[in-house]
Amino acid sequence: MGAVAGFAPPDNSTRKRGVQPLRAGQGHSFLWRKLHSLTGIVPIGAFLVEHIISNFEIVNGPLAYAQQVKFLNGLPLVRVLEWVFIFIPLLYHSLYGVFITFRGRSNVNVYPWAGNWAYIMQRVTGLIALAYIIQHVWRQRFAGVSLPEHPGLAYAKVQYELLNPWMLAIYVIAMIATCWHFAYGIWLFAAKWGITPGDRARKKFGYVCAGVGTVLCAMGLVSIFWVAYARPYSPVDVMPAQPNGVVMPTVPYSPTAQQGAPVQYDGNGQPVQPNPVPQQ
Amino acid sequence: MAAATPRIIVVGGGLAGLSAVIKIAEAGGNVDLFSIVPVKRSHSVCAQGGINAAKNLKGEGDDVLKHFDDTVFGGDFLANQTPVKNMTAMGPAIIDLLDRYGVPFNRTPEGLLDFRRFGGTLYHRTAFAGATTGQQLLYALDEQVRRYESEGKVKKYEGWEFLSAVLDANGVCRGICALNLRSMEVVTFPADAIIICTGGNGAIFGKSTNSVVCTGSAQSALYQQGAYYANGEFIQVHPTAIPGEDKLRLMSESARGEGGRVWVPKKKGDPRPAKTIPEADRWYFLEEWYPKYGNLVPRDIATRAIHKVVFEHDLGIDGQAMVYLDVSHIDRATLERKIEGILEIYEKFVGDDPHEVPMKIFPGVHYTMGGLWVDFDQMTNIPGVFAAGEADYSIHGANRLGANSLLSCIYGGFTAGPNAMQYAKSLQSAPGDGGHAAEKVRQIEYNNILLHNSGSENPFKIWRELGETMTRHATIIRYNSGLREADAKIVELLERYRNINLSDKSAWANTSFAFTRQLYNMLQLARVMVQGAEKRDESRGAHYKPDFTERNDEQFLKTTMASFDQQSAQPIIGYEEVDTQWIKPRPRRYDAA
Amino acid sequence: MAGTIKVDIKRQSNPDAAPVTERFEIPYRKGMNITSLLGEIAMEPTTADGKASTPISYDANCLEEICGSCAMLINGKARMACSALVDKLMAETKDGVISLAPLSKFPVVRDLAVDRSVLFENLKAVKAWVPADGSYDLGPGEKQFPQIQEQRYPLSNCISCTICMEVCPQFNDQTNFVGAATIAQVKLFNLDPAGKQLKEERLRALAGDGGVQECGYAQNCVQACPKQLPLTEAISDVSRDVIVQQVKDFFVR
Ligand SMILES: Cc1cc2nc3c(=O)[nH]c(=O)nc-3n(C[C@H](O)[C@H](O)[C@H](O)COP(=O)(O)OP(=O)(O)OC[C@H]3O[C@@H](n4cnc5c(N)ncnc54)[C@H](O)[C@@H]3O)c2cc1C
Ligand code: HEM
Ligand code: HEM
Ligand code: SF4
Ligand code: F3S
Ligand code: FES
Repeated sequence: MGAVAGFAPPDNSTRKRGVQPLRAGQGHSFLWRKLHSLTGIVPIGAFLVEHIISNFEIVNGPLAYAQQVKFLNGLPLVRVLEWVFIFIPLLYHSLYGVFITFRGRSNVNVYPWAGNWAYIMQRVTGLIALAYIIQHVWRQRFAGVSLPEHPGLAYAKVQYELLNPWMLAIYVIAMIATCWHFAYGIWLFAAKWGITPGDRARKKFGYVCAGVGTVLCAMGLVSIFWVAYARPYSPVDVMPAQPNGVVMPTVPYSPTAQQGAPVQYDGNGQPVQPNPVPQQ
Repeated sequence: MAAATPRIIVVGGGLAGLSAVIKIAEAGGNVDLFSIVPVKRSHSVCAQGGINAAKNLKGEGDDVLKHFDDTVFGGDFLANQTPVKNMTAMGPAIIDLLDRYGVPFNRTPEGLLDFRRFGGTLYHRTAFAGATTGQQLLYALDEQVRRYESEGKVKKYEGWEFLSAVLDANGVCRGICALNLRSMEVVTFPADAIIICTGGNGAIFGKSTNSVVCTGSAQSALYQQGAYYANGEFIQVHPTAIPGEDKLRLMSESARGEGGRVWVPKKKGDPRPAKTIPEADRWYFLEEWYPKYGNLVPRDIATRAIHKVVFEHDLGIDGQAMVYLDVSHIDRATLERKIEGILEIYEKFVGDDPHEVPMKIFPGVHYTMGGLWVDFDQMTNIPGVFAAGEADYSIHGANRLGANSLLSCIYGGFTAGPNAMQYAKSLQSAPGDGGHAAEKVRQIEYNNILLHNSGSENPFKIWRELGETMTRHATIIRYNSGLREADAKIVELLERYRNINLSDKSAWANTSFAFTRQLYNMLQLARVMVQGAEKRDESRGAHYKPDFTERNDEQFLKTTMASFDQQSAQPIIGYEEVDTQWIKPRPRRYDAA
Repeated sequence: MAGTIKVDIKRQSNPDAAPVTERFEIPYRKGMNITSLLGEIAMEPTTADGKASTPISYDANCLEEICGSCAMLINGKARMACSALVDKLMAETKDGVISLAPLSKFPVVRDLAVDRSVLFENLKAVKAWVPADGSYDLGPGEKQFPQIQEQRYPLSNCISCTICMEVCPQFNDQTNFVGAATIAQVKLFNLDPAGKQLKEERLRALAGDGGVQECGYAQNCVQACPKQLPLTEAISDVSRDVIVQQVKDFFVR
């Protein structure tokens, strides 16, 4: 039988070309992918909520906002916290997110279905958020006047930025994009971690996520427009001198202090009335 | 040679083939599994209704002997009784096995297997998995085979077509010759025994309820190599199939069970849309002819009546071979509750809504009772060639009962596998190269002739004519004159086949080339069918001749055995006694209690 | 409309050949589907501009949407050729020309036939079977309540057509994602009383590169699946089980 006996089938499979089979149990992409997923919720998502709530202090005026900024910067080990819980996770989530984005082959043009749109929007909003955050953090955190040292200027710094209509537009777009990304992100998280497997559960949770997203987005947009238009621009430090060890409250309630008027402080931390109340 | 571990080739990956593979792999043999299509796409996937086994889980007192009797009786006593007895006895164990393999059979509230009733019996004997039982069974076996494949015990050759057996100088099978359907290479593979599980041959009738690859080509090739082909004339035609442009899709009997009515317009070629034809102009021929049973006459009778209306009264809808099956008078809620699933199939493939317009149906060729002759060990008359499943002739006699085929496929595979192993262990080594080189040369030469022919005939057109001829003369109602006419037509087609011109002569994934090869085998097998039918002057089971309406046990309680005469290239029809040692033949009647 | 059907077919004579598009015109008949249309071309393989051509290569077997062979891009979308009706397709196009192309994510064998063996490899990789002891008579299987059967049945209807993979944006040669079908089969076998035995192995397999984590939940799979498998639900469930398994393995192994 000779020649035929040892016959091996000619390799006429084309499989080496297309998508390759699962590498069962091999590699680490599972861990990296889940880490990405998780970082989107905590800490980044949690930070976003905190940030939008903090920023919402803007509606209470420059001083309130300054207090909020001061409070945050006064947290123990704040610089470490900032890097560990915000910058590094954000960097990881964004870079891995970009990696994920460019490995997908979107096809909404052929299959224009809701889930598919959401899929591509998650990528687009992620990229918008990334671009925005780079400039935003650079300009708000590392460039210009340092807010951890001068929290009193926070309002003015943001206001200055937002008086530029281009920047305003960018903030609005970024706010909408980020909130969408986050809201859909929680929905995705629940779906992908098996928290909402059933169709009905996913639908119901969808409403919850939409609600959360809408509220966050509304708060963010109100802050943006408030800081831009609620009062005239005034580049005055509302909380100039920072005595060591004093955290809060820096300003005792003063019924006479008028909203909007910058308050000056003397060396002992006591308010100085710029226009003394006329003696009766 | 008689290698320590026998090497067995199984051709065909339907239920029968996979069952055989499992048995061989389990027993430690080496198996090569050949299939034209990936095995998971084999025709067995189409079966819907269920699989029979007398488990008696409904407290009805069913038992395997009753199943045995129903099967023999349903087959009009043409089946050899011993294998039927063995099969029905193995039935319950097969169901248990499938259950353990994870088939999602429907369940009773307690979590036991549920059974439904099927034609030809009084018992709840049919286990089912929704409306896709065949699919579920095939997958369960496919998964087991994939498991053996991953363990290196089975090698799959999907996308390979069996061309012929390799026979040594003594006529003993030593392997197969196969065609790679991508690279179009012809290769011979050595084996100690081969098992042919290549299914039915509906394609010979052009359109049928069968899948595309059910051409019977492999069986025909073996018949031309000297194997007996038995009971070729027995073809089951299902009364209600949906005629499609490319195939006939099954429309379950339950449509009539729920009150569906069969009719045609009284006027030939009535151009009006069905809905607008008034009652007075409709002919409910079943109700008129069979006032007692109306639309629910047994399958073969309904089939014959529809055939008659279309071909003898010439009243098919729009002059085509179709009649109306009307459920549009039944209220929507009832339909939705009872038969929504099957109405959806109709809507999906026809595009019309059967709630609104009557369905157009026609009987369709459904099952091949005949096949390769095998002994009780499933071996053909060629030593080393076994057969199982729809490709063999055993079990069903003149007519198959619903849900018995899936069982017979698994039984056949389970029997053929171990027997092939047994045979292989005592096999003497082959003289010379076992005939491999010669067979390969023969097939390659044939291919070259086909590829270089410069005639004018299109193979697909010849096929269409074959199908039309067979459907007209050799299905439901048979006249000897028509059968002779059909045979003459096939001879003409064989003549024209010599003049074939392939528009595609390329040597890569040339599907029309492969089809043209199959076509030749179909033509040869078609002659076996029509000649067998012509010679059988009686009516038995699915075989019905208006000129001989009675069963004639004296002359025809015999298995038809066709063999191929190499000299004249003609079938020779002979007969063999039927094994009736267990149950005495009695008249087959379903109307009396 | 009763005249002819125009159809543009993207053809490729072998895996390395450049694709070309040929137009055919086929006499219209009511009730045609794509497979019957391809059958007509085989009967008369001449292009619309009168050039002699060849029959189209494509996969098909059952012609009733159960074998899973005939998936292709029809008017750009992945669907089953045997259940795609010409009347509906014509209405869908602007110029009345139906277009056919092979699935885009699988290597072309020839014309409309592609190599989808990756799915079967994936089924092996996740051990999509019940590890039964043997085929001899070992009595009935475990009891299984109808509630479980009702969860399993829809999943076992998968016909391996690979449409869920074709339409998935994550299924591509960068991610080598397994695709929804395999994940659904893992759920099916993990639900089986005997299939459960291999549950942990399956879940570990699915945490490999290309595993369930690659799903971006675009949900195209569940929209496009011709057999309406509850794919997104299966992905959620399996995904959770994989995470739990990984955590367990981390602490226990
Ligand atoms: C619509 C429909 C519904 C049915 N419903 C039921 C039912 O409810 N109950 C029941 O019991 N029966 C039913 N039947 C019958 C039953 O499905 C078949 O008889 C049975 O599946 C045949 O199985 P098989 O293993 O013999 O062959 P198949 O499943 O047909 O497999 C044939 C195999 O052979 C391969 N093959 C063919 N030729 C070659 C070749 N030349 N070379 C290599 N490989 C080849 C094919 O690729 C395939 O793998 C139904 C049939 C139809 C058409
Ligand atoms: C669109 C969504 C926003 C995101 C994702 C975002 C993100 C961030 C991040 C990551 C930082 C650096 C954090 C740090 O230094 O501790 C930051 C700082 C800051 N952001 Fe935003 N921001 C968003 C919107 C806004 C808006 C709307 C405002 C103002 C209304 C704002 C005001 C600031 C300010 C003032 C800082 C610097 C203060 C600080 O360092 O604590 N941000 N932002
Ligand atoms: C404000 C900052 C961000 C937040 C709050 C956030 C949050 C989230 C959350 C919760 C998820 C869902 C996780 C999951 O799918 O399981 C997610 C997913 C995603 N994020 Fe972000 N993200 C942020 C920034 C970014 C950035 C900058 C990118 C970079 C492009 C990005 C890209 C992605 C991508 C691609 C996904 C989808 C992952 C997947 O489908 O598997 N994200 N994000
Ligand atoms: S899950 Fe659906 S789409 Fe995917 S392969 Fe199975 S049947 Fe096809
Ligand atoms: S389309 Fe793909 S991304 Fe997931 S939900 Fe379906 S597998
Ligand atoms: S041919 Fe079987 S699914 Fe279309």
